[in-house]
Amino acid sequence: MQVRWLLSAGVGATVVAQAAYAVQYMTVEQAQQAAFAQGSRFVPVAATIDTSALGAPSGWMPLVWRVQRDAETIGWFFEDAVIGKSELITYALALDASGKVTSLEVLEYRESHGGEVRLAGWRNQFTGKTAADAVALDRDIRNISGATLSCRHLTEGVHRLLQLYTHVLAAKP
Amino acid sequence: MRTFLAGLALAGGFAMQSIPAHANDAALKSEVEALRTEVAALKAEVEQMRAAPTQKAGTVSAAATPPALQPGSVAVANAVPVTPNSGTTSPNPGNAVGEGTTLWGYGQLDYNRPTARSADAQFDLSRAVIGFTHAFDESTRIYGELEWEHAIASAEDAGESEVEQLYIEHALAPSYGVRAGLMVVPIGLLNEHHEPTQFYGVERNFVEQAIIPSTWREGGIAGYGNTDSGWQWDIGLVTSPNLGKWDPTSDEGRASPLGSIHQELQLAKAHDVSLWGRLNWLGVPGLNVGAAFFAGKIGQDTSRQFDGDTNFRADKARLLLGEAHARWQSGPWDFAALYTRGTISDTQDLNLSFIGQPTPVPKSFWGGYAQGAWRALEWNRSSLVPFLRYEEFNTGAAYAAQPQGLGTPALPTQRVWTAGVNYYLNPNVVFKIDYQNFRYDDVLLNYGNRFDLGIGYQF
Repeated sequence: MQVRWLLSAGVGATVVAQAAYAVQYMTVEQAQQAAFAQGSRFVPVAATIDTSALGAPSGWMPLVWRVQRDAETIGWFFEDAVIGKSELITYALALDASGKVTSLEVLEYRESHGGEVRLAGWRNQFTGKTAADAVALDRDIRNISGATLSCRHLTEGVHRLLQLYTHVLAAKP
Repeated sequence: MRTFLAGLALAGGFAMQSIPAHANDAALKSEVEALRTEVAALKAEVEQMRAAPTQKAGTVSAAATPPALQPGSVAVANAVPVTPNSGTTSPNPGNAVGEGTTLWGYGQLDYNRPTARSADAQFDLSRAVIGFTHAFDESTRIYGELEWEHAIASAEDAGESEVEQLYIEHALAPSYGVRAGLMVVPIGLLNEHHEPTQFYGVERNFVEQAIIPSTWREGGIAGYGNTDSGWQWDIGLVTSPNLGKWDPTSDEGRASPLGSIHQELQLAKAHDVSLWGRLNWLGVPGLNVGAAFFAGKIGQDTSRQFDGDTNFRADKARLLLGEAHARWQSGPWDFAALYTRGTISDTQDLNLSFIGQPTPVPKSFWGGYAQGAWRALEWNRSSLVPFLRYEEFNTGAAYAAQPQGLGTPALPTQRVWTAGVNYYLNPNVVFKIDYQNFRYDDVLLNYGNRFDLGIGYQF
């Protein structure tokens, strides 16, 4: 039953993604290739997510891949979306095997303003962050004037994924 | 292709149901395992299609090899499957109205109490705004803001009901596009980002009300874009203010020269057009440095209009407004500075016809401010941010020369200190208190030391 639900949700999402205004900067594949060396394998991971414990909105379900080379886990890759001002920002986060951020990419942006979150200088602030860091806007992440809401919500999204990593993925045997 | 996938999904579902009752548990387990593997492969395929709908299957690289090719490694555990995001996973899904349509809004309520004239204390619902976007397709949408000022708008009331922005936006590429319609002028720090949660103090700063009118918008066509190195640019060809609207008997021109003659696309005189341009650099996180201009003829050939003023003597008047700003936000600190200066040419003859009236057209006007804010306290989603702002501005810094004895002296430069606190209950709800100290009083322009209280929100 769960499996069937999963598949129909997947197909549904395909259709939804086609309907809205969106500027696509990168595909998931491009982000995966940019974040990890050639020859890495991306294995979809299912995880039980207690959204309330992670301070996430109910229904929050990011896509998670375990990244492997041979049998060794070399990192993690996430695709998730947050609201900017009123539209979704789709983004990808890559962690190394120790849970350190190696890259953050904005895949799709739909707002009229605030698209500056895709600037490399801003995204690079996350490099090296772990679940132990604050990862909070105006603390260890600086704002972009004029794109405050997009900056704040994307920062909150990365914070959530790092918590997901440390409490769920890293905790798994 | 999508239909094919849906078919696969359905087939997968039927396959699950058609498993006959097995006596042998081990056989059942292995079959389920095989199905799991197959399902994971299908899911990965769906994912790839979803993520790269335009990418041809042949171009998918080895880096994204579907897990089905390594059956032993599929790590689908006994847990709830992680499903793709759809539009329903938003933190505030209430904003979605229908497919492709979203709503948002902001509002502001202000209480002002002049310390020397408490009888003039006033509490006003300054503005309530409803905004919307509707996406027609992947690259085209409409963006609109509808505003009510001062609570009630009718023939007998002081309020206004207005369309603040209404434009079509079309993305030509990921990093640039065009807009057409009624748009806010991309100048200064406040005009584009005027929600009450975005600025310190109950009232918007004076410089960006008196010199750069707020909220200033014009109708036309504009291009926008940004680069990977952090440049953000805007250029527009739009309607001009209308100098024919200048009222030498009113104080409006002294409160805000451009605010008294901008047209807000209300049956706007469109003989003259203006050009706007802006360049911002955001390449270092936390930093915003930029400059903008607005330039064009504003006489609108008023004397030759069908219903125009045939005595009007500034058909060729030109406006040039320039502005430069810098803002630095780092940790709890937020510093901003802005300078702006405007000139209006060819006003000598027009002002001569205004002799004896209180408000001639200035030749130049200018203003600047510096502001510092410090997030002193922060708990949960709340924060307390004291700030200090110093402003200087002059809406009539110089007037065109006139015959001996008829000239207008420059206005005195106003100086305002504002000290206060923004208390953010959460990032989208703010309560404000401040005290403003003026260099000189002017009852007509509401200049005078005062206490202010404010409520603001944004969603």
